[in-house]
Amino acid sequence: MTTPTKPDTALKPGKPLDLLQTQPSLFFANLQPILLLGTLLLSFRSLVADPVNTLLFLAPTIAIVQALYCIICLPSTGDTATPATKPGQKKKTPRTQRQDIWAKVIPVFLSLTLTALLSTPLLYILLILFGAPLTTHHLHTLLLALHLALLTTPHLFYVHGLDATAWLRIASLHLPVDEVYGMSLGACVGAWLGAIPIPLDWDREWQKWPVTVVVGMYGGAFVGKLVGGYLFRGWRIKLS
Amino acid sequence: MEDGERDGPAGEDLKAQNQRAAVQFKAQHALVVAFFLLLFVFHALGIYLFCSGFLLSRLVLQDRSQCDLPPIEVQHGHSVGSIESGCWHPKSFDKAVVILVDALRYDFTVPFQPRPGDDQPRHFHNALPVLYETSGLTTGTLPTFIDAGSNFAGTAIDEDNLVEQLYKAGKKVVHIGDDTWHSLFPGYFEPNLTKPFDSFNVWDLHTVDNGVNEHLFPLLEDNMQGRWDVIIGHYLGVDHAGHRYGPNHPAMHEKLKQMDDILRRMIDKLDDSTLLVVMGDHGMDVKGDHGGESDDEVEAALWMYSKRPVFGSRDADSVRPPLTAKERAVGQIDLVPTLAFLLGLPVPFNNLGQPIAEAFLGPKTDFDNLAKVSRLTSAQIHRYQGQYAKARNFEESATSSTSLLWQEANRVYNAVQSATRKPTSSDASRIANAFTAYQAEHLRICRGLWARFDLVSMSMGIAALIGTFAVIAIYAHGIGADRATITPLLLAWGAAGTAAGGVAGAAVGFIPSLSLIQISAFGAAVGGISATLVGLWPARKILKMPVPRTFWGGLCFLVTLLLCVGFASNSFTIWEDEQLLFILTTFAVLMLGSSLGQASREDRVLGAANSVSFLVATRLSSLSRLCREEQMPNCRSTYYASATSSTSASWQLIIPVLVFAVLPSAIAFFFGRTRNYEGIGVVWVGYAMRVGLFLVALFWVLDAADDNGWIPSHEAAPQAVEPTSPVSPEAFQTDEPIFTPLNNAPEKPKPKLIIFGYANTHGTRYLLLPSLWILALLLLQKPMGQGTLALCLVSILNILETLDALDQRHSPLGPTLFALMGSYYFFKTGHQAALATIQWESAFIPLKAIAYPWSPIFVILSTFGAQILCAIAVPAISLWKVPPKQPGLLGRVAGAMATHVLFYAAIALATVVEAAWLRRHLMLYRVFMPRMLLAIIVLLLVEFVGAVVALVGVRWSVGSVYEVFGWPGT
Repeated sequence: MTTPTKPDTALKPGKPLDLLQTQPSLFFANLQPILLLGTLLLSFRSLVADPVNTLLFLAPTIAIVQALYCIICLPSTGDTATPATKPGQKKKTPRTQRQDIWAKVIPVFLSLTLTALLSTPLLYILLILFGAPLTTHHLHTLLLALHLALLTTPHLFYVHGLDATAWLRIASLHLPVDEVYGMSLGACVGAWLGAIPIPLDWDREWQKWPVTVVVGMYGGAFVGKLVGGYLFRGWRIKLS
Repeated sequence: MEDGERDGPAGEDLKAQNQRAAVQFKAQHALVVAFFLLLFVFHALGIYLFCSGFLLSRLVLQDRSQCDLPPIEVQHGHSVGSIESGCWHPKSFDKAVVILVDALRYDFTVPFQPRPGDDQPRHFHNALPVLYETSGLTTGTLPTFIDAGSNFAGTAIDEDNLVEQLYKAGKKVVHIGDDTWHSLFPGYFEPNLTKPFDSFNVWDLHTVDNGVNEHLFPLLEDNMQGRWDVIIGHYLGVDHAGHRYGPNHPAMHEKLKQMDDILRRMIDKLDDSTLLVVMGDHGMDVKGDHGGESDDEVEAALWMYSKRPVFGSRDADSVRPPLTAKERAVGQIDLVPTLAFLLGLPVPFNNLGQPIAEAFLGPKTDFDNLAKVSRLTSAQIHRYQGQYAKARNFEESATSSTSLLWQEANRVYNAVQSATRKPTSSDASRIANAFTAYQAEHLRICRGLWARFDLVSMSMGIAALIGTFAVIAIYAHGIGADRATITPLLLAWGAAGTAAGGVAGAAVGFIPSLSLIQISAFGAAVGGISATLVGLWPARKILKMPVPRTFWGGLCFLVTLLLCVGFASNSFTIWEDEQLLFILTTFAVLMLGSSLGQASREDRVLGAANSVSFLVATRLSSLSRLCREEQMPNCRSTYYASATSSTSASWQLIIPVLVFAVLPSAIAFFFGRTRNYEGIGVVWVGYAMRVGLFLVALFWVLDAADDNGWIPSHEAAPQAVEPTSPVSPEAFQTDEPIFTPLNNAPEKPKPKLIIFGYANTHGTRYLLLPSLWILALLLLQKPMGQGTLALCLVSILNILETLDALDQRHSPLGPTLFALMGSYYFFKTGHQAALATIQWESAFIPLKAIAYPWSPIFVILSTFGAQILCAIAVPAISLWKVPPKQPGLLGRVAGAMATHVLFYAAIALATVVEAAWLRRHLMLYRVFMPRMLLAIIVLLLVEFVGAVVALVGVRWSVGSVYEVFGWPGT
């Protein structure tokens, strides 16, 4: 876990995140959950038949969707939410535009790297702690952790960077709910709920590990993003 | 943390005030304990009412069959009423030797059959070939629930039965072996030749068997002719080998070889007119236990042998014994009419079995003989049916399925009789089949009849449980002030209401259709519960709705609700252990998250480190698994050496040694963090506990040495070390002086250190009680269970620290978590919600023989060790790191304990309602009823231990701290 760097500072809750107020941004922000859930549902049959290969082949697609979401819709770390720009104002020289692109691509690349190298192992351990098979199904669990990481962390890394205070807020549910955080929380809750049908004696093929959890977290991410972005925006979970 | 030091009047005044506060605390404390015992009574009444309606018994008829009164007229010239030639039918044998081999599973007796995935013979295969090689009559038997009730009860059977019929016919019956027979059939056995043996010492494989041999074989000699007519020999070694080692163990092979040899010798000695019956009363599961309803547990072997050719078979194929018990299974109750006819006795009046065809067909396949006995059996069943209907005031309908089959069978019989031609074999076969159909249908009807439930009594029980649940919920979460000050009022009202309700119920109970005891129990429960609620009236201003108001309260509520709903599904009931891991991990992860959000860095580190430790301990414990039948093949047992064993593996011996090395240091670490590892704490945790744990480890090493024959002399029984161990439970109860003031912080010179020493006086002081109890609980666990139970204690400490970091010691989080952990570690100490997983042998860890009341207490401590440990730890939640002079501690402790009990009460209420609701479910006896029984037993136990051990312990712990620091005024 991230170690706190600033001792004895009370974690003051931050503010809900604002999306980039551009046309493509608003469009893609709404398209993204549909893309994610749609991709999964389209490959549901092969997911049930062969979870390992399906999850493996899906991973790059999901990563690209998430990367595009970060680039198009989100302010990168350090940026304060860009004030809404008027349509006419956005005329800049190609040179600075290219700089802008690089200023976004590099954080996205870093976010995805952190997702793969930091979040995935941590989530893998977490899944094992929750009772995922310890001696078998290693690839299944690892790919599940990868997908959970892809749904929960790239946008958080992109927005909050490696700021310890922000991550303490994220871990302790102190952050106000917005569509980025809502999607991550939704994916976690969905994965949690997805484990429930596994023990039922219905003898269905889709009850096998980790199909229900995958479906649960994609569904949860979808719902979480909508709920966090619209319904409960700015709401804070009070743990104590 | 600050000490609430106040300025009081000096000198005498302060002393008097202190004394008054002390008396007040002690009085309030006694009343709080009494109030919890009152709740225990409410629950006990509700559970009694429910169970008396749920576990119904059938009506016992006193009628007896008479030798000279056959149930239907007998034709074909057999003279009825002679013991010499046979009462209702010509007899086949003069004498019989019935050998009961306890737990003789069917596949022990037939050659090994390779199956896919199971192609190697195991230890229990091919060890008892005699039954297969010697030509006799072999079938599988299925015990039925009708006998199951009278198996364990130990009360005399007062219905018509074979042993009594033999006795009345003047036959000399000798019994050798299991002494249960003597309580079932008192006075019917030949006193000089009979030899009973104690049956429950499952540790001992050979004493009973050798004793049976010693007394049985002399009877078979020629000079004993005429001294006996029937010998019943009951061998227990196979069963005990199963319980102790499991079927797949060399000891089982040895045992079966020995039985093989015994049976061969017996066959040699038999004469022509003697019947030999060898049978198992039940089988055993893969671990060697029984009590469930899986195939392996109910499929026993039945083998009949005679030197004269008496037995036959329906067709040429079935000359050899069937290779599986499925192929030709007979009911255990079928043995009753079969033996009765073979020995010339009347069929007992209440018989429901059918004659075993092969015993009456003869070598020439004589269906006529079978038809005769089948007709007589049916007629007796018909007579019984009539009597039963009369006794219960049933209308006997002429169109019921049994009546129609009875008429049809008689029509077939009369048609054949009145025909002019000589009856052929196929005519006889048709008659036999017609009567057999009637017998089978009648048995089916009877099963349905006796699986009936008394819904009125069950509803009364459920009502009482709901009422008690409401009382506890309000007591724990609906009182906005110090609970301890209101408790006396509630107790007085509740006790008075219980008494008044009981008397009122008894008065109403004269209505003849209702049972007096039930009505007065219901009256007492309703009176007590409503009076307790009335007792809340004066305090109505401080009452609030007992609903969750915080995140953690809501989570506890949600999780309990999910579990309760889940018990309505057999899958969730079967996989409860995995769910509890999932739930505990959820709590731990959220506590970790919440810790990271704490304002102070110290709290953050403390909470996070302890949450992570709790997470790891929980997942580590989950590696200890004992799978239940229904979890296969998705589960691998690790609790014992193998899935087919009930002994520990040698490598598991390292666990008690690790516990000895690590556990005291771990506790000392938690004590030392607040400078409370001083004085008596060091003496107990540092020395006494280490010595105790060393002896526990030594005991299990010696036990393993004995099991595996590492020590040449067989007499090196592990019990030998026991007297030297100071950890016998008797010692615990008298070990109260441990409760002397622990904290000597005032002697410390530095003020800073004094504050640190103050920090956890109550908590560490109280924690000595659970750490005392865990020693006794550990001794009774198998090595694997010791490891998990030690992890349970570490988790308890982790949670106490985390609750402090999160400042959640007054929320329902702690008590609910402890209840979840109690349930979780129940599974992790090698149990399941199934009767077969009770570790009966734990009764023999401290004692060599059964001794009341100790043996049942040891089994309870072994089975429910986790729940007991967690219940005892509950007061520590309210006491952990509170200032020494904190007022209102008693009320907080009572609230925490009530919350803890509330969880178990919710589970018990849910499982009871669901068992009642699902009473026609296929899985009732296999899944829902065992879980319900577990829930109600745990509820009563936790309530009792919580009141008598935990709350009483608070009196000494808190009292001794107050003695030193002064009593807080109220």
